[in-house]
Amino acid sequence: MTKAALSYRHTHRFGIAASAVLLMLAAILVPLPAQAYTPRAHTLQINARAFAFEPGSLSVRRGDTVTLVLEATDTVHGLYVDGYDVNLVAEPGKSATATFVADKEGKFKFRCSVACGALHPFMIGELNVEPNLPFVRALLLTLVGGIGALAFFWK
Amino acid sequence: MKREWFALGIVALLVIVFPASLFGYQAWRTNSSDARVIDVIASSPENGGWSPDEIRVNVGEHVRLRIAAPDVVHGFEIPALDVRVDEILPGHVQEVEFVATRAGRFPFACTRWCSVNHWRMRGVIWVSDPAQPALPAPTFAPPLYQQLRIDIDAMHPAQNIPPRKPSAARGAQLNLRVDADFRTQSPDAVFAKLRADAAYDAYDDQQLWDAIAFAYFQNVGAENIANGARRYARDCAACHGERGDGQGPAGKDLPGLTTMHPDMPRGPANFTDASAMLGASDALLQGKILRGGMGTGMPEWGSLYTDADLWSVVAFLRTFTFDDPPAP
Amino acid sequence: MNSPRFELTRIPLFKRVVTSRWVPWLFMALTLPIFLLAILTGLFGTPAGSRNFGIIFVWIVWWALVILVMVPFAGRLWCAICPIPAPGEWLQRRALIQPRAGGKLFTLGWKWSPRLNNIWLQNISFLAVALFSAVILTTPFVSALVLLAFAALALGVSLLFERRVFCRYLCPVGGFIGLYAQLAPVEVRVKDAALCRTHTDKTCYRGSDDGYGCPWMVFPAALDKNTYCGLCSECLKTCPLDNMGVFLRVPGKDLQTTKGRRLDEAYKAFIMLTCALAYSIVLLGPWAALKETAYAVGAPAWFVYAIIFLAANLAIVPGIFLACAWLTRKISLHKFSLRRTFTEYAYVLAPLGLAAWAAFSLSFVLINFSYAWQVLSDPFGWGWDLFGTANWTWTPYFAGLQSFLQIPILLAGLIAAIGMALRTAHTQGVPSRAALPIVAFCAAFTMVLLWLYV
Repeated sequence: MTKAALSYRHTHRFGIAASAVLLMLAAILVPLPAQAYTPRAHTLQINARAFAFEPGSLSVRRGDTVTLVLEATDTVHGLYVDGYDVNLVAEPGKSATATFVADKEGKFKFRCSVACGALHPFMIGELNVEPNLPFVRALLLTLVGGIGALAFFWK
Repeated sequence: MKREWFALGIVALLVIVFPASLFGYQAWRTNSSDARVIDVIASSPENGGWSPDEIRVNVGEHVRLRIAAPDVVHGFEIPALDVRVDEILPGHVQEVEFVATRAGRFPFACTRWCSVNHWRMRGVIWVSDPAQPALPAPTFAPPLYQQLRIDIDAMHPAQNIPPRKPSAARGAQLNLRVDADFRTQSPDAVFAKLRADAAYDAYDDQQLWDAIAFAYFQNVGAENIANGARRYARDCAACHGERGDGQGPAGKDLPGLTTMHPDMPRGPANFTDASAMLGASDALLQGKILRGGMGTGMPEWGSLYTDADLWSVVAFLRTFTFDDPPAP
Repeated sequence: MNSPRFELTRIPLFKRVVTSRWVPWLFMALTLPIFLLAILTGLFGTPAGSRNFGIIFVWIVWWALVILVMVPFAGRLWCAICPIPAPGEWLQRRALIQPRAGGKLFTLGWKWSPRLNNIWLQNISFLAVALFSAVILTTPFVSALVLLAFAALALGVSLLFERRVFCRYLCPVGGFIGLYAQLAPVEVRVKDAALCRTHTDKTCYRGSDDGYGCPWMVFPAALDKNTYCGLCSECLKTCPLDNMGVFLRVPGKDLQTTKGRRLDEAYKAFIMLTCALAYSIVLLGPWAALKETAYAVGAPAWFVYAIIFLAANLAIVPGIFLACAWLTRKISLHKFSLRRTFTEYAYVLAPLGLAAWAAFSLSFVLINFSYAWQVLSDPFGWGWDLFGTANWTWTPYFAGLQSFLQIPILLAGLIAAIGMALRTAHTQGVPSRAALPIVAFCAAFTMVLLWLYV
């Protein structure tokens, strides 16, 4: 390769890297279209037993007011929602309730917070606050980053 | 060669002395105590229950129980000696100290709902008096339901059902005096007696029921209801439900559900069932709690509850059929 | 080939440390009692895993240290301080510090079978641990038995065979540390290859009065990848020409060449990738039935789980990759055999797998790290409170931010994998587009993990 071609290639690569980084920033920051939505109030009952939450997945929309009712069916269990810092402890005959506004969108794992046996650390469910914008952005980021990497390393 | 020995010495120190000191520390913790240390392991009944489930101590002895819970959350109570630990978290050790002042054989039990067999998790503590080797003879009076010869296994449906759920608050406004012994008489029987009495002709059925509700709660008092409520939440609600409807999560697959006589109602008693509750006297309800359900999955509480505790739970049960109990 | 590197051993203090015979001993003397404590607490401590030192310090603290810190930043550093081979090595040498004359070892001197001169046994041992992980990770007693078995095996093997046969061929952890150590920015290498050619004694491999021949059975003079270099520093001590050095380098340099890529190492990459995915689904997903099945060892449903788990690791994921490799081969006009295409591209999965493991580990490590403070004060769960932290409550760290840490890690893994895939194509002398099926595989894998985590 001649020196000129080499330097052209370097400039070219720099351009690719710079545009990829800009596009990735855009994927993080670009406002995503939002649908008009009137928030609702939900009361969601979760039954906890070793080592399962039933239902294991909950779905609400951003802005909804969520009342979680935790009922333990076999022994003492807790429910801690990542990111919302909600912590409930229930026992058969003593259910527990918490109300909060689901103001952050995304997927939040909830997990048992009172040791209940071997699989306790893996007693996990998930609260989906839709629309799951972090996931959409992560996918965009992966696409832009992946295509950028392809272009960057392509010969 | 000198440095080899030095290195080997350090390794030996770390590999032998370090672990030995850990076990030594544990032994020291046990033996250096001025109290007698007894290790107790609290496991759910299917994992072995209490270990040991028989504890022997002497009157006047300073005892320290070290209770460990390897599986799930447990509680511990010796009601007769007023010793309790409300919460033993898995992997934690809770210590409780006591000095037994009287000889006897006292049951202890788990106080947290630890499994479907939680109520089987009981043990016995023997307190002996070295000065008096023989245990004192238990003082025993037959419970009220036996004295009254009430068949607590039969159904006693109420003959009269109130049009609406009776309310103590409405009853309070009637200024109506009701004299009745609720321990021996069911609310239904009290109502029948009032209805037959011409002196009460001015009041309709609902008013009489409201007056009965008010009189009942006046009679048992707010303190008893509050004590009953605490015990109900701790010991009963898992099967009978927080709302008393018999739909508690732990009552769904009791052994009695499959082996009970087909004519009997299935599952934990429903305390919101007006017919069953109004047809039952306090003595009957107390008998049920005291003796248990004989194979239905309903445990006996007579050995863990004092008489006053039993009556207070009965008083609380009435709040499922009578509205507006007095606030403590 | 001449990528920039910086010789750390030029720093006098650093050099003194790595050439000291006391330092490896010191680290092992520190890790050995901790390892011993992990076994003792597992055997005699509380069965409640969250309050047992053995579970928390092995599967949370040690694991986080290895996969999030040591492997990505220092390769096989753990292997240099691991206590498991220590007793065997000390017995082999009949010395802890002082080298024997000529680096002589005391063993039965058995020869390791040349047919096993690969990491298939490590692939199997890792899969065996992985298959029972739901039990091993949560049951202190079982966890301790597994650690004991490793220690016993390492000791036994070191009496029969020369050098670190356990580490090199058997250790379930060593396999993947080796694979991912190639990504690390640290290496032990020859300073000047020309100088080695003048030195015929090869003391770096045979040992000398100053130290032992490479315990990892690598010829240090020809070292060109980190996979089997245990960073034990013997070669720095045995080289009479002071021609070995520790270098900072471009991360992942070992993976820039496709030379010497092997099917056993390729399979390591598949197993690691599949296990990261399987754990993310089974252990961290919201599907309780899966967890219970994985835990119910011996039950009929568990056998179904075991078959699916093993099939996914050994056949399904490699099979999908094989289909991609088949396409790649078609695009590159059948220049190489399918086996070679498959094997050489499989190394692309190293950065992808390390990123997946880092993302997976981050979630449970941050959530459960606070248990470490409790078990420090009460290692056995016997009611001790040595440092006043025994009753600190469980506090998940960064609970809502995990996915924001996981996304950039997975993305970095993907970008590195794409770069490697294209470089593999270029090294093979085929057009860039040949790598597209492999890139698609990596992108799809990353997206599945994102769907699970975010």
